[in-house]
Amino acid sequence: MSLLCLGVNYKTAPVEIRERLAFPETGLPDRLREITGLDPVREAVVLSTCNRVEIYAAAEDHAEAFERLTHYLVDHFRLDSPAAIEFYRLEDDGAARHLFHVASGLDSMVLGETEIFGQVKKAYQIACDASVTARCLNKLFQQSFRIGKLVRSGTQIQQGSTSVGSVAVDVAEQIFGRLDGCRVMVVGAGEMSRQVAQSLLSRGASSIIVSNRSHDKAVELAAELNGEAVRFDDWERVLAEVDIVISSTSAPHAIIHPAMIETVMPHRFGRSLFLIDIAVPRDIEPAVNDIDNVYLYDIDFLEKIAARARIEREKQIALCEAMIERHIGEKGIEALSPERRPETGASQPTDRINSMGNIQKRNPV
Amino acid sequence: MDKLLLALSTLCFLGGFVYAVVALRSGRPRHTTRLNVVFVAAGFLFQSLALHQRGQLHGRCPVTSSAEILVFLCWSVVLLYFVVGRTFRLSLLGMFTEPLVLVFQTVALFLLWTADPGPSPLDTVDGWRELHVAVALLSFGAFALTGVAGVMYLVQDRQLKRHQLGALFYNLPPIRHLASAIVRLAGIGLGLLSVGILSAFLMQKRPDALHLTMAFAVWLGYAILLGWHLSGASTPRRLALAALLVFLLPLAQLATL
Repeated sequence: MSLLCLGVNYKTAPVEIRERLAFPETGLPDRLREITGLDPVREAVVLSTCNRVEIYAAAEDHAEAFERLTHYLVDHFRLDSPAAIEFYRLEDDGAARHLFHVASGLDSMVLGETEIFGQVKKAYQIACDASVTARCLNKLFQQSFRIGKLVRSGTQIQQGSTSVGSVAVDVAEQIFGRLDGCRVMVVGAGEMSRQVAQSLLSRGASSIIVSNRSHDKAVELAAELNGEAVRFDDWERVLAEVDIVISSTSAPHAIIHPAMIETVMPHRFGRSLFLIDIAVPRDIEPAVNDIDNVYLYDIDFLEKIAARARIEREKQIALCEAMIERHIGEKGIEALSPERRPETGASQPTDRINSMGNIQKRNPV
Repeated sequence: MDKLLLALSTLCFLGGFVYAVVALRSGRPRHTTRLNVVFVAAGFLFQSLALHQRGQLHGRCPVTSSAEILVFLCWSVVLLYFVVGRTFRLSLLGMFTEPLVLVFQTVALFLLWTADPGPSPLDTVDGWRELHVAVALLSFGAFALTGVAGVMYLVQDRQLKRHQLGALFYNLPPIRHLASAIVRLAGIGLGLLSVGILSAFLMQKRPDALHLTMAFAVWLGYAILLGWHLSGASTPRRLALAALLVFLLPLAQLATL
């Protein structure tokens, strides 16, 4: 029995293609049964996320299986020009190593992100419930979970926040603790402020107030964030009631001054105020940070922290790959029968990366 | 044996502090708090055994000399750390408490080794006196932890203001929790000290006027601190600074014992 992986990801296919190939969760068990109904395919797991669509399968004849699976995708998704889509086809240890990298977050757009681990687990669980996995894929996925945990706990691949929104959330949590009950005000309805506000909401912030020079845009963003729009002339009035202010207006000069904050703070009864200035030129005078219990962070600083975390994660890749190879060296690829297992060191991680890189070069996104 | 147990306890606190600092500096602070609790728990165990032995020696609460008072104070601090630190979810409170306990216990050890006054039994044990001493020292333990929480607040505030987002920043409790811990700990200390002062009036032999005056001064200091907070006139940072300054009062009283 050979292992195989057929798929596309964010490196090899643009979002227009990935969204066409996405398997909705409802109906996935039926799709899995259809896939395992294709003749040489015996077992299957479909991993379908916003960044990848991959079919892991165990089949008697991998060449035949690749052909049947590709035709299945073309037919099922009614692809007009299938030749334009270049699926990657990985076999045996290549497929296994790829899954180990995916589960460890090494193949993710945001390196080391944790969500993918849960998504792999869920994909496997759905396949198990649909009774389309057996010895081969069971062993493969169980081993990938062990490796994923090992890599995440043994390295710093998931340390630090890699986006402006998540850095802002981290700082907010070090000020307020849990964000439940925190009120957020967005001044200026730009894309970046929407992202930061969404990050705060996703971590429990209770309500959002949006204020913008164009009130219609404020209403629109408030509706999207399930918040409340306030007229631009009134936002100062609300300042005493909120805990976090995200400012991103296009004003040519500062709109929040120390005197304004000093007037508000006595009415906050010791509650801290977290100001996030993501406007250029800045909306908030830096001297505001000198006021007791007020913490001001600007876009440069948040971006610098996020970039530093991304660089730190990049540095961890070699360590993670060495850990995966050491594990394979010690335990082998458990899903493969002994004759199909690679000799130790036969396939180095860099080979795999290069091969993925080649695909990327052929199909620039 | 009691001195050996105390030395072991001191080593545990030293080990815990060094471990926590090294773990934080290495950037792998994930298990810092958990393992640090093991060090503190071991230190507390040896501390308790040492105090038990001293208590057996005197046949009463082991607070008969400056050294014992310091050890009992440290024991109170660690006991409250276990009760309060866990309840208020104050991670790294142990790491910040350890240096304080380390200094006090090292001084106590030095005093015991150089000039141990030996057994000091009483013909009759006054229960109110024992209660007064024990509860008053527990309250001082709470005030010491108030100061520790104040230091933690000031460190975290400085890191937030200067945008120093390192391992220490992410492992310290949120600044809002620290601000409320200062208030709660001061409140606990004030409650305990009130019981201690009241029990002093029921003792067979009243403490001298200086002792009572100083106890009132401590009580008043923390009452003003809490009143200042409740009035809304203070900021958490000023409250943290004040908590450190007011701790000089119990320290001054301890120096007179």
